[in-house]
Amino acid sequence: MLIEQLKLKNFRNYDDLNITFHNKVNVIIGENAQGKTNLMEAIYLLAFTKSHRTTREKDLIQWDKSFAKVEGTIQKRNQSMPLEITISSKGKKAKWNRLEQKRLSDYIGALNVVMFAPEDLTLVKGSPQNRRRFIDMELGQIQPTYIYHLGQYQKILKQRNHLLKQMQKRKQQDETILSVLTEQLIGHAAIILEKRFNFLELLRKWSTPVHSQISRGEEKLEIEYKPTIEVLETANKEKIETTYLQEFQKIKTKEIDRGTTLIGPHRDDLVFLINGRDVQTYGSQGQQRTTALSIKLAEIELIKSEIHEYPILLLDDVLSELDDYRQSHLLNTIQGKVQTFVTTTSVDGIHHDTLQKADLFHVHHGMVTN
Amino acid sequence: MYYPEPISKLIDSFTKLPGIGPKTAVRLAFFVLNMKEDDVIEFAQALVNAKRKLTHCSICGHITDQEPCAICQDTSRDESVICVVQDSKDVIAMEKMKEFNGKYHVLNGAISPMDGIGPEDINVPSLLNRLKDEQVKELILATNPNIEGEATAMYISRLVKPSGIKTTRIAHGLPVGGDLEYADEVTLSKALEGRREL
Repeated sequence: MLIEQLKLKNFRNYDDLNITFHNKVNVIIGENAQGKTNLMEAIYLLAFTKSHRTTREKDLIQWDKSFAKVEGTIQKRNQSMPLEITISSKGKKAKWNRLEQKRLSDYIGALNVVMFAPEDLTLVKGSPQNRRRFIDMELGQIQPTYIYHLGQYQKILKQRNHLLKQMQKRKQQDETILSVLTEQLIGHAAIILEKRFNFLELLRKWSTPVHSQISRGEEKLEIEYKPTIEVLETANKEKIETTYLQEFQKIKTKEIDRGTTLIGPHRDDLVFLINGRDVQTYGSQGQQRTTALSIKLAEIELIKSEIHEYPILLLDDVLSELDDYRQSHLLNTIQGKVQTFVTTTSVDGIHHDTLQKADLFHVHHGMVTN
Repeated sequence: MYYPEPISKLIDSFTKLPGIGPKTAVRLAFFVLNMKEDDVIEFAQALVNAKRKLTHCSICGHITDQEPCAICQDTSRDESVICVVQDSKDVIAMEKMKEFNGKYHVLNGAISPMDGIGPEDINVPSLLNRLKDEQVKELILATNPNIEGEATAMYISRLVKPSGIKTTRIAHGLPVGGDLEYADEVTLSKALEGRREL
């Protein structure tokens, strides 16, 4: 997969930008606060219809303008395809091949992107929410129906939580409604969990050898999924459903007391282990960083194996954070096959072949020159 | 812009209708001024009558100008089958089909804890009463195929099942006359789930 052309209009600090990319590796150089990350954000937006750093979409529109637009021409399976995202006060429009896609799940997956940015350390260090978000984003871009089930799950969860609040305050005593909503919730929860289990299996398959290489064979990376119910990862959907049902029955009074749903995929977590020890608690800064890097590199291969094409890789300000060995490992991995966008304040000191051959783009005050 | 009070009141009233913005309201109000007086009186009367003379049928909850409604009064209809719908408009859609000869029950809503709507806020109690008195053999649940409609259907079936009355849910899946290739994945998987043997 390649991005051939990127056009920005009123996006962040870019008035009007039109760049064409001819090369696999594109290095974006500029001082701080010139708009390097904004370029990355634009590509990310084109893939996920969301920004990676803000949920306030108004922020993406340039000050005093009424709309922001990101257009991209991508090449997928040797065919060119235009993509377009427009954000205005009226909302967001996503166009795929010039046709508006009303449902998010119809659009996401058109462009596959893997991003590695300093904030990805939160994948290891941060709260469980970061790790769930990671699974949801990555699984969503390779399996559109996952997004649908997740959306339905969240709607039912909201209804169920409202009901539990009402039951907690004794405004509603009818337990049949609770059992109906529980059944509805379980239907989607089981599908989500099954899909997450399958995803984890793939992620392990790719991340273990990657991590072993990066750590020169010294470290063994394991990933554990921590669901809120006791169920084997090999369990099928029916088994997961019955387990959820039993568990929900056990905690019914507790849920009513607390007025909220206590188990389900929205409370699950991931644990990363290096040589059997939890990286979040016992890992060094460097190990946490390497773990995040291994996961991201595994994702590239995972997407390739699922959709038979390499995704686009965005490396936002991370090269300088890696030591020479990890840097060259990363650059070797992408060499020649993955279209990569790298932002950095300077290329001095990085002598890798991949960067020598790269196209350089200089960013200054929202203008790009090459 | 200054309008004399009668017309500004009229404009105001038009904007209360769905889909009518301020500009359309002004246009409609000025159009009314040029209408024949008889037509205007008839129009006004129609509005008032629709509001005053229509009530919800005490048996099925459908909108009606008589008590009970025409469908409930109709003795040629099959009393052993009741089709449960969310809205009066759904009854009209079903009636257009001209193939269903049972009776209806209009819930006038769906269960949604988020909006504070429970079973007692929609016509569920009156449905349960009907099932006690009448000789009902089948209950067709035709609520909308979304989360709230589905929850309502499941809720009713839970309450009714123990009484031994057959409860069925209308099918969902591919639209008739449509192309398979245009169906989205979710609809298609529902259709596959509900496939039947030929």
